[in-house]
Amino acid sequence: MYRYDEFDAAFVEGRTAQFADQVKRRLSGELSEDQFRPLRLMNGLYLQLHAYMLRVAVPYGTLNSRQMRKLAHIARTYDRGYGHFTTRQNIQYNWPRLKDIPVILGELASVEMHAIQTSGNCIRNVTTDQFAGAALDEIIDPRPVGEIIRQWSSLHPEFSYLPRKFKIAITGSPNDRAAIRFHDIGLQAAANAAGDVGWEVWVGGGLGRTPMIGKLINSFVPNEHLLAYLESIMRVYNRYGRRDNKYKARIKILVHEEGLETIKGQVEAEFAEVRGGVLTLPSEELDRISAYFEPPAFPSQSATRIDVARELILDPAYGRWLEHNLNSHRQPGYASVTISLKPVGGAPGDATDAQMDVVADLAERYSFDELRVTHEQNLVLPHVAIADLREVYDALVASGLAEGNAGLITDMICCPGLDFCALANARSIPIAQAISHKFAAPERQAEIGDLKIKISGCINACGHHHVGHIGILGVEKKGGELYQITLGGDATQDASVGKILGPGFEADKVPGAIETLVDTYIARRQSADETFIAAYRRLGEAPFKEALYGNG
Amino acid sequence: MLHSERKPDKLRSLGILALNGMFDEMDAVGVLRQAAAEILPGDVAIVSSFGADSAVLLHLVAQVDPSLPVYFLETGKHFAETLAYVETLKSQLGLINVIAIHPDPADVKRFDPNGDLWETDPDSCCHIRKTEPLEPITEQFGGWVTGRKRFQTKERGVLPHFELTSDDRIKINPLAYFTDADVNQYKIDHGLPEHPLFARGYKSIGCAPCTSVVAEGEDPRAGRWRGLNKKECGIHFDFNGAIASPMSAAKFTLHKDGAFIADPFHAWEDGDDAASARYKHIPLPVFLESRDAVLANPHPMGLLVSPGDAIESVEADLGRFASIAIKFPAFSDGRGYSTARLLAERYHYANEIRAVGDVLQDQIPLMRRCGINALVVTHEPTRQALVENRLPEVALFYQPVGVTEVPVGTRPYLRRAH
Repeated sequence: MYRYDEFDAAFVEGRTAQFADQVKRRLSGELSEDQFRPLRLMNGLYLQLHAYMLRVAVPYGTLNSRQMRKLAHIARTYDRGYGHFTTRQNIQYNWPRLKDIPVILGELASVEMHAIQTSGNCIRNVTTDQFAGAALDEIIDPRPVGEIIRQWSSLHPEFSYLPRKFKIAITGSPNDRAAIRFHDIGLQAAANAAGDVGWEVWVGGGLGRTPMIGKLINSFVPNEHLLAYLESIMRVYNRYGRRDNKYKARIKILVHEEGLETIKGQVEAEFAEVRGGVLTLPSEELDRISAYFEPPAFPSQSATRIDVARELILDPAYGRWLEHNLNSHRQPGYASVTISLKPVGGAPGDATDAQMDVVADLAERYSFDELRVTHEQNLVLPHVAIADLREVYDALVASGLAEGNAGLITDMICCPGLDFCALANARSIPIAQAISHKFAAPERQAEIGDLKIKISGCINACGHHHVGHIGILGVEKKGGELYQITLGGDATQDASVGKILGPGFEADKVPGAIETLVDTYIARRQSADETFIAAYRRLGEAPFKEALYGNG
Repeated sequence: MLHSERKPDKLRSLGILALNGMFDEMDAVGVLRQAAAEILPGDVAIVSSFGADSAVLLHLVAQVDPSLPVYFLETGKHFAETLAYVETLKSQLGLINVIAIHPDPADVKRFDPNGDLWETDPDSCCHIRKTEPLEPITEQFGGWVTGRKRFQTKERGVLPHFELTSDDRIKINPLAYFTDADVNQYKIDHGLPEHPLFARGYKSIGCAPCTSVVAEGEDPRAGRWRGLNKKECGIHFDFNGAIASPMSAAKFTLHKDGAFIADPFHAWEDGDDAASARYKHIPLPVFLESRDAVLANPHPMGLLVSPGDAIESVEADLGRFASIAIKFPAFSDGRGYSTARLLAERYHYANEIRAVGDVLQDQIPLMRRCGINALVVTHEPTRQALVENRLPEVALFYQPVGVTEVPVGTRPYLRRAH
């Protein structure tokens, strides 16, 4: 994985010192909260319902064990013993004190981490496929380009005060696990006629109160021109994006209102000016960065298969874990392991300091010192030898991290909701907990199969409810919390936005409503191989609507 | 002969107050004679601009002593009429010791190679063309005669006949109490020749680029550095502050080249005339409406670009502007950064690009990287941070932004020179 050189280290140190000065000025009163806000936001520091919240960047979701141990240390020392992994592949701490922030940033810098641009109206952390560099279906590892984008976008002087935040996601696999069509810019690896690998550029996707699927603005941008092309999009957005209404300020609205062709014309005109200029990426530089992401030297393995059916009989829990939590690795004899942060009754995405330490140990011992954070709020050991799976599993069991539910109904994305967030209208974690209790039985989950539930506590959609096969949106109605249910969302290459099924439900009715939907699906599916989303697409919303609301 | 040893004693024994009390308000000849013959014999000189009303003082000099040294600051920027007027007065009044002082050619070459410093930084222009050349001459004399008058500007309202300067020299102002009418009457009474430009509306004449016509009823010196927050040329500053007080630091709102300076530009106001305005940043939409008038306007002008203005629409005319002001209505509105980069990098605009509006210390490093080279700053902590040169800045850059080279040692692909 990428390692800081002296320049990177000095850059992060400089930024830490700068922010330490800004915190000092805020504490002394020299800076007002209004003046401090954009500065702290650009350093990942939010003011939440109860306290400050610090969001730490995990560039393209990749960590090593030393970094994970540092995250554990920070949770233990400066917070309340846990951290929360987010849909942006980052981690956030919910209880730090302002005066400790500079120290925490110093700790992070010591392991080549930072909180730069994890919030604020700037280019945010670049996210990617959690199986990047490991997945069997991958065309190219997207992380070297992700790293180059990280560098290019770090404290970019022109794009630090954009109309609104800006998120870029990149995937090297045709099977989109990074939701690139729901980002301001999505990059999808593509080959041109000559067989060169470059990038499809999608623009104007997003969730929030106005969900939009990204539109293809360029079907092939080669690596050498990628930064120039991105800068062209950014400049068009910075100049013409709406600033009169924060809810209409994302690039998706600009693209929607002006039309893709208009925006494309502006971007192409800008690109014609900057193309071939100083932002041209020399192939040697890409090679230099790529060298950091070279796959480890995998010792060859004699065990290249595991008999899941057999394990299911011998040890059902282990069998289920194998069945659901492994992803095919490009190297024979290896698999990528998803460590679920979705235990029954838990807060999705939370990990204690002790759990983080355990995961760090496992990464060091079994995964070539590598870890990933997924946008679905789980962790991944990307390179585990099949022969080591049992040992890894046993260690996870001992730490309460062995839930075999990846991709199943209890593997929900969920925002922090009203329990933490100043923007939320409704609680979301308790809803997730109630649903997970309802479907706690592993056999039941296995019977249902792949089903993505995503829960947001407000219209800002941090819980990605628009792209849940079943989406749940908390709203405030007449002083109480109500939950609207959407069906048919999909964050992958088959992108779609879920549709609201009908009137909302009170919190205690939500698990029952979900069960009704699930029962309807099971009753109507053609076979156990027809997933929920496939059945929904075939059947339409009618049977689900009728099951929930009757046919009146 | 070194006069500095005895001068303070002499001054102290007399007392500057007593000296001022010795003369009638209009006794200009008495004042000058006292200074030249009694207080500082052989130690008095005169600086004259040979301007519109210099003739009166020079006539007094001729009466008292035609051999008193008269220094003329030959700035190289004078009207031809002024140079002719020097010769006219010399011969008509019989002055036999008029000495021209020139700016140091090395200074001119270094600081004003194109001869347009007056436009971008009039204070510095005065400095190299007046203050610097005069300094070594000043040191040679214990007393200086000036033609300054109380009525000329507010700042001079309490000007006495004799001033003690901060370096213990004496400044003699024989015409301190003369009004505009007194000057005119004196000229008529003594048949003094007019400066050739006086009849054309010039009331106070300095260097050609920085002098304009004064309207009827206007302060006569209003035509000097018109449009600039500048009233004195710098060489009068070094006197007792109670008399000729320099501008207070708070008025220096423009930060440029590492220092706060007087801003030569004023805000565009409704009713300003595009054809005759000077030192105004004309808003871009107004410029587009009155483009021909602005292009025909001979005076220095700036352009104000607000967020949403299309800088592309004025690309061809950018060279007409001495300064372009980029408006930041709120620090959180980042459109100005794109404007600045287009100006500096795409259009190669090399004059002043200034940020105006909500200019705060935390954004300044970003502004500078995007090509902004001047700042109008009113926020006090930001002013302090600039003065103390402690901006919250990360000095390492990941992007090749701006026209300056990213230092060696950074990413090869992020450097401009491959």
